[in-house]
Amino acid sequence: MDRRAFLSSAAAAALLGYMSGGQAAKAAPLGKVRELGVLRVAVYKDNRPWSWRKDGKLTGIDVDLAQALAKGLGVRADIAELVADESADDDLRNGVWKGGLLGFQPADIMLHVPFDRSFAARNDQVAIIAPYYRESFQFAAVKGEIDVNAPPTQYRGKRLAVEIDSIPDFYLIGTFGGILARDVVHFHGGTEAVTALTDGRADGALASRAQIEAVLHDSGATNIVRRTSPLPAFTSAGWDIGMAVKENSRNLGDAVETILAEMTQSGALKAIFERHGVAYAPAVAAG
Amino acid sequence: MTGRFTRSFLGAAAIALVAGAAPLLAADAAGGPTDADLMNDAASTGDVLTYGMGPQAQRFSTLNQINTDTVSKLVPAFASSLGGEKQRGQESQPLVYDGTIYVTGSYSRLYAFDSRTGEEKWEYNARLPDDIMPCCDVVNRGAAIHGDKIIFATLDARLVALNRHTGKVVWNKQIADYKAGYSATAAPLIVKGMVITGNSGGEFGIVGAVEARDVDTGELIWHRPVIEGNMGTLRGKDNGITGKLNATWQGDLYKTGGGATWLGGTYDPETNLLYFGTGNPAPWNSHLRPGDNLYTASTLAIDPETGVIKWHYQTTPHDGWDFDGVNEFIPFDATINGKPMKLGAKADRNGYFFVLDRTNGKFVSANRFVMQTTWASGYDKNGKPIVIPAGRPGAPSATEKGSTVFSSPSFLGGKNWMPMAYSKDTGLFYIPSNDWGMDIWNEPIAYKKGAAYLGAGFTIKPIAEDHIGALRAMDPRTGKIVWEYKNKAPLWGGVLSTAGNLVFTGTPEGYLKAFDAKTGKELWKFQTGSGVVGSPVTWEQDGEQYVAVMSGWGGAVPLWGGEVAKSFKDINQGGSLWVFKLAK
Repeated sequence: MDRRAFLSSAAAAALLGYMSGGQAAKAAPLGKVRELGVLRVAVYKDNRPWSWRKDGKLTGIDVDLAQALAKGLGVRADIAELVADESADDDLRNGVWKGGLLGFQPADIMLHVPFDRSFAARNDQVAIIAPYYRESFQFAAVKGEIDVNAPPTQYRGKRLAVEIDSIPDFYLIGTFGGILARDVVHFHGGTEAVTALTDGRADGALASRAQIEAVLHDSGATNIVRRTSPLPAFTSAGWDIGMAVKENSRNLGDAVETILAEMTQSGALKAIFERHGVAYAPAVAAG
Repeated sequence: MTGRFTRSFLGAAAIALVAGAAPLLAADAAGGPTDADLMNDAASTGDVLTYGMGPQAQRFSTLNQINTDTVSKLVPAFASSLGGEKQRGQESQPLVYDGTIYVTGSYSRLYAFDSRTGEEKWEYNARLPDDIMPCCDVVNRGAAIHGDKIIFATLDARLVALNRHTGKVVWNKQIADYKAGYSATAAPLIVKGMVITGNSGGEFGIVGAVEARDVDTGELIWHRPVIEGNMGTLRGKDNGITGKLNATWQGDLYKTGGGATWLGGTYDPETNLLYFGTGNPAPWNSHLRPGDNLYTASTLAIDPETGVIKWHYQTTPHDGWDFDGVNEFIPFDATINGKPMKLGAKADRNGYFFVLDRTNGKFVSANRFVMQTTWASGYDKNGKPIVIPAGRPGAPSATEKGSTVFSSPSFLGGKNWMPMAYSKDTGLFYIPSNDWGMDIWNEPIAYKKGAAYLGAGFTIKPIAEDHIGALRAMDPRTGKIVWEYKNKAPLWGGVLSTAGNLVFTGTPEGYLKAFDAKTGKELWKFQTGSGVVGSPVTWEQDGEQYVAVMSGWGGAVPLWGGEVAKSFKDINQGGSLWVFKLAK
């Protein structure tokens, strides 16, 4: 069976807990972390610019943030790369409260978790904390090829790069009566879509703002312009990104929130984003 | 070593009597099964050499020592544990050869047990990377045997050939990149010295394919993508694109069209055709990929020599319900309207039982084998479904929860992976089916890899008070259900039919059961200690008929909760091979 774009329900998640053969390793609350001297942090595997391998070395905004949190707690960071499952709900199960089927040990804390009330409500095995960024989608194009602020119907006939099965994909294929459908070029990720733009393999790209900014920063491309007005009938207003700890690890969560608040205040958080070419945008929930 | 060289289909007494011929027999067994032996597997009762008990996978044995009169005396001969902490779903079918039972286990393990004592001879544990994401439990469905090799696929999308005497690796080939979401769980098919496999996966971006490799080296011979517009290869050279570019797909969607061939295939020596089923198209939302989306949700007939597609029949055009078309296509012969025909049958996820002319793929009939199909009311005489438009899930929108559509069968299908059986005696197909539906709606707030996306929410639910599972006897000539056995929990194991007028299948409740093949009357059952989701086999050894099945609850069903979960909440995991014979 193919992996599904379905969400597993809370009931299914609870059932998996019930079905688990062995006792899953327990993620350590604050005292245990300090005692062991290690904070195990889960980040997504292959998630540029947040956590990815550059020339074999793990790097990215979330990787730097993980190091900073461990430093703040006075411990060493053990950063574990988690392969994304079908939904972020599954990732919380694999990464935080139960562990993976093939032996992935649960982390003390996971980064890059959507900070959203309904999402949190159906994932009550974890506490979702410390919102640290506001993400959103944006359109970018090669200067002279596309008038970025024109109605998208005028993008017709241009090569439009998107991540397959993403909101940008559905938007460009499905809206305006599908007149752009034949122009959409699909990539495995948003970063690849933006890279196609800077490589001359696409005329426009719709991807996350962080993906666009990081690729433009890393490539040094100067011929790319970004849309400034909202896309008509675009359905995602953006979302906040936070962290997750196991439900019974709230004291660890509190300590992390304190460290994050200090980093926000001192500008250390903003500096991490800038190091990777991304403009820091505070989470709406943090405001 | 001597035990290994005893030809399994000869009794010990027979060996003693023909002592003069023993060296020749020994050499024969040492050489292992040939291509011809594999093709003859359905007729050779002393062994089980292929997944499906013959390349046509009819799962029918001519043995009749165990029959409707004697089955009440069927008792365990032994049970062998797979051991370790790794349990979960045991969906394997055993192979039996040369005094050895070969069986695969969960987590990509392979075991050789002595077929007389149940003692373990060797085991092989694939070292799996911890970053693989199998969608539907860590199962494996069985191995293939050829010469001195026993071959199986692993969850990290490799094919491993082991020496059948020692369990040592002969070759080990990556068949796809697990990091791109590919996996492998099906039993390989061996035809004319080639290992034929499908693929499974994964993330969006995969294209289903069928591949042939040299059984001695694992080197690729041909590759045939199953999605229109993609190029096939033969011995390293382009061998024509599949179908016609952009005929049933728009833009570049054919490059990521899905259609995984994850259940493997069957082979018919009479027509010299491979039959492979293909999975559902991607992306899931059908509104974004107008067209039939060939060749997803189809049965394909493929030339084993070249990998060229000879015919196709699409069971679910423009799938929007997740109705994989991967189910096994079983060749059989029957007389339809007074005309003897070479046919094939498939019980599809979409709830219909198809009969096709296996020489050319021409539609003969399609009949419902489940209680309810909300997506279509039947098939017209051209073999096209009469679709019910209101039964198609709507297009997603990120702004609000979409309307809920009730769909039956659920996405787990009227029949899932578990293979049916065909009895040459009764002329009936025995289908392990499930009656269940699902509520499906568009989810406004969904996240994947930390980012917002458009998802669908769903709940699977039973549609009958008294059962979900139903073993059904289908007459392929009339499309009528002759009898049915209802089971509280979903059926998830394979079926075996025998000339003893018996049909065997397992239940999640832990039983292996035997039924009268003509009437469906339950004649025997045995509690194996965990759910049975494997496929039973039978063979003759030392003058006695044996039956073997794997026990170990798991697979895709327990991964999805809801109302259905109530039917199996008290079932425990396990991992054992059970072997039975008649009490003396």
